[in-house]
Amino acid sequence: MSTAQATKNCITLKGSAQIIVEYLKYGINSILFQRGIYPAEDFDNTQHYGLTILMSKDPKITTFLQNVLSQTEEWLSKNMINKISMVITNAHTKEVLECWDFKMQAELGDGDTSDPSKLTSTKELSRIQNEIRDVMRQISATVSYLPLLDCICTFDVMIHTLQNTELPAKWDETGAIVIQNAQAVQLRSFSTGLHKVDTVVNYKMST
Amino acid sequence: MDEIRSSMDNMMAQFNDSVTHSAPKKLLFNRLSTSYTDDFIASPKKRRLDSSDNNLNSTGSLNSSLNSSLGPWQNSQLRADIIELKARNSQLQHEVERQIKEHRRAMAVAESKSTALKQQCDITSKKMIEMERNVQIMRKREVALKEEACSARAELAQLKMKFDDSIDSLQKEKSQQEEDARDVQLCINNDLAEYRRMAHRADLELQATRTELERFRRRHDEFKARVSGHEDLRSDFEKQSQSLKAANERIKELEYEIQSYNDWKEVTKASQERLASVPDLQSEIERLRHHNKHLNTLIGDKLLLEEKVHDYKTRLDREEGARAEAVSLQVKLSHVEQELKEWVKVAQDHCLPNTLVSPMALRSRIEQLLQEDIVHVAEKTTSESDTKHLQATVRELEQKCSVYLKNIEDLNIGLKRHKNFKERLQRKLITVSKERDFYKQMVENFDKDLTMSNTSMADMTLDMQVRYRMEVLERTVTGYKDMCATLEREIQAMRQQEQLAEPSGEGYDSVKKELDTLRLENDRLRRRKEEMELELMHRCLRGDFNMKEFKVVHLSENPAAEAYESSKNVMEKLQAEIERLKRRNKKLEDDQEQRLNETTSTGGMTMNFKEFNQLRAELESANGKMRKMKECFKAATTEFRDVCYMLLGYRIDRIGANSNYRISSMYAESPEDYLDITLNESNCLALLESPYSRTLKPAIDQQLAASNSFPAFFSALTLELFQRATVTIT
Repeated sequence: MSTAQATKNCITLKGSAQIIVEYLKYGINSILFQRGIYPAEDFDNTQHYGLTILMSKDPKITTFLQNVLSQTEEWLSKNMINKISMVITNAHTKEVLECWDFKMQAELGDGDTSDPSKLTSTKELSRIQNEIRDVMRQISATVSYLPLLDCICTFDVMIHTLQNTELPAKWDETGAIVIQNAQAVQLRSFSTGLHKVDTVVNYKMST
Repeated sequence: MDEIRSSMDNMMAQFNDSVTHSAPKKLLFNRLSTSYTDDFIASPKKRRLDSSDNNLNSTGSLNSSLNSSLGPWQNSQLRADIIELKARNSQLQHEVERQIKEHRRAMAVAESKSTALKQQCDITSKKMIEMERNVQIMRKREVALKEEACSARAELAQLKMKFDDSIDSLQKEKSQQEEDARDVQLCINNDLAEYRRMAHRADLELQATRTELERFRRRHDEFKARVSGHEDLRSDFEKQSQSLKAANERIKELEYEIQSYNDWKEVTKASQERLASVPDLQSEIERLRHHNKHLNTLIGDKLLLEEKVHDYKTRLDREEGARAEAVSLQVKLSHVEQELKEWVKVAQDHCLPNTLVSPMALRSRIEQLLQEDIVHVAEKTTSESDTKHLQATVRELEQKCSVYLKNIEDLNIGLKRHKNFKERLQRKLITVSKERDFYKQMVENFDKDLTMSNTSMADMTLDMQVRYRMEVLERTVTGYKDMCATLEREIQAMRQQEQLAEPSGEGYDSVKKELDTLRLENDRLRRRKEEMELELMHRCLRGDFNMKEFKVVHLSENPAAEAYESSKNVMEKLQAEIERLKRRNKKLEDDQEQRLNETTSTGGMTMNFKEFNQLRAELESANGKMRKMKECFKAATTEFRDVCYMLLGYRIDRIGANSNYRISSMYAESPEDYLDITLNESNCLALLESPYSRTLKPAIDQQLAASNSFPAFFSALTLELFQRATVTIT
């Protein structure tokens, strides 16, 4: 009984990666909606984290996110990711207008630390989700101060991985992005006990 | 060997014999030679032995000479011979041994060879056995293969049989097929013959059709000739029918003329009747004239009314515009009033509570506030400048303070160094004084010694002693002096060092300058450091430091790439569209030019829309101008008419569409008194009959008929009427 109880509250690296990927899914969809990158009629309401989140129903976007996030989960469970950037660019000029950075920091957890691939954390899921909810609320609130995107925009997800990472098929190495005259705002961060996620939005200062 | 031994024995026996004879006699060599002859063939080696035997014999003789007391020389010779023989003996023995050894070795080699051969034999036997076994196996295989060969032969035979059968069957088939082929050939030949026949028939038919065709052609030519004849006939017929038509028309015309003649007859009849009824008609004309007049007046009234209506309409339009403007103005007014109220409220909020609310008060209030603001700003700027100034002075003072502190530190360091030096000097002094004391003691000791020596060594000569002592003392003194000199030199060196160590004034200034520059550098570096820290913080926020450890990857099929691609495509498409439209535009322009030329050449069948609009505008402007001109003209005409009326005393009115004029005098007794004048085709004026003209018959007859002058007639009439009017008045 006691062991069952113990395993119930345990978060492994894989579980932590799952939680973060879920956050990324909802976060990226929320940003896509809030920043008006795709028209509002392409989105559906869903309830999550106690919030109403608008999820894209464009099959192209959903499959893209599915592909990216499954790979991200695999890498995250091996702690190979430094940060994940969602880059919003002008579709015609390719100029980078906004960059949402989700920075990942590995933590040791509070379980047995002898084997680095079998770390565990006993942080409660409801607490983590509350933290994520706060970040999601902040993401929604950023619209009030971020500059208006008054051109046709598109987005891309870039993952900063270790140099020795092997790239699967259809994945390319690309350069780091640069925003001219950038301003950065750090939002709240949350932690699963094994990963700490900082959310930072970099945006181009309107001249 | 044995032979050698035996010969040796023989020799010894002979020798012994010779010895036993003991008589000095000649040496006999025959025996020896015989033995030699025996031995001569046995081996060539014996030849040497021969000489040795000689020697031996000689030794033997030597021995015998010894025994028989021969000469000493011979003895010694014999002895040497013996020794030589012994040596040879031992040599031979050695050789014998060596040969034995060789023999043994050869034996051993042979044995080893034999064992090796035995082994080989064993191996070969084993191989033999194996080979036999192999042979057996091969035999077995051979048997098996033979059996296989038998079976294969049997199979071959069977297959042969089968193939023979199949060959037979195939040959049969072949023969059958040949037969078939023959049949088919026959059939084909038959068919061919038939076809040939058919072809022949078809040729015949063709020839027949050709002949027929020829016939048809001829016929056709005939028909053509006939047709041309028919056409001629038809043209003749048409001509005839046309002439017929013309004749008919002529007939009809004539009929019409007849009818018209009849009509004329009727008309003449009717006109005669009418002529009969002329008086009635004249009365009728009178009535109609009245009616006409009435209608004319009505038409004039109507025209007037229309003008008025038009005027009213324009006025109404203007009025409506004004009304709409008024409504908008009212709305604006209400809006402005609301605004005013708001302003008043604002003013009330901002003005003093007991004063009258007015824009002036508000303005004064605002001005007051602005002035206060200006004052505050001025104060602020002054205070800021003060604070800046103070900060600058504070900084300066701090810098000075730090400079002084540095100076103090430097001086302290100098002081410390001096103290150290002083201590060192003191220590030196102490050592020097100690040395001095020591030397003093030494001198005293010497004095004591001197006195002691004076007492104890009275026997030594005093002079010697004194000299010795003097020498010693001089040496010590020179040593002492040397030491003093070295010490003084040291002191001087120290002093020089001290002087060097002391900072000179110039050096101090340069150091200060250096210090200042260093301080500036420090400030600059600090600022740079702060900037870098800010940058670092920024980069920390963005999280892109030590990016070299990481690489950026993304899915190649991302929405951004897609969007770029699509936008590129769209751009290309749009550019293509632009190109297309440009081309089209150019084409249209060319076409338009062409069409414009066409329109001008065809006299404006199709008109450009723009031109149409332009023309419409022109028309409107022209209409307006015309209206204005009309009005102007009307006003001028009325004025002109009035002036004419006032000057000449006659009103001339144009009546109806024809150039009929009605003339009424200023002094006429009633408005019914007027004269009608018409202008006929030959530009001559003619007086028409009117009720008033009838009354003026004598005057008309007198002036118009006589002098044919309208002005004279009218002036006479005016005078008459004027006189009549004045007469009635008077």
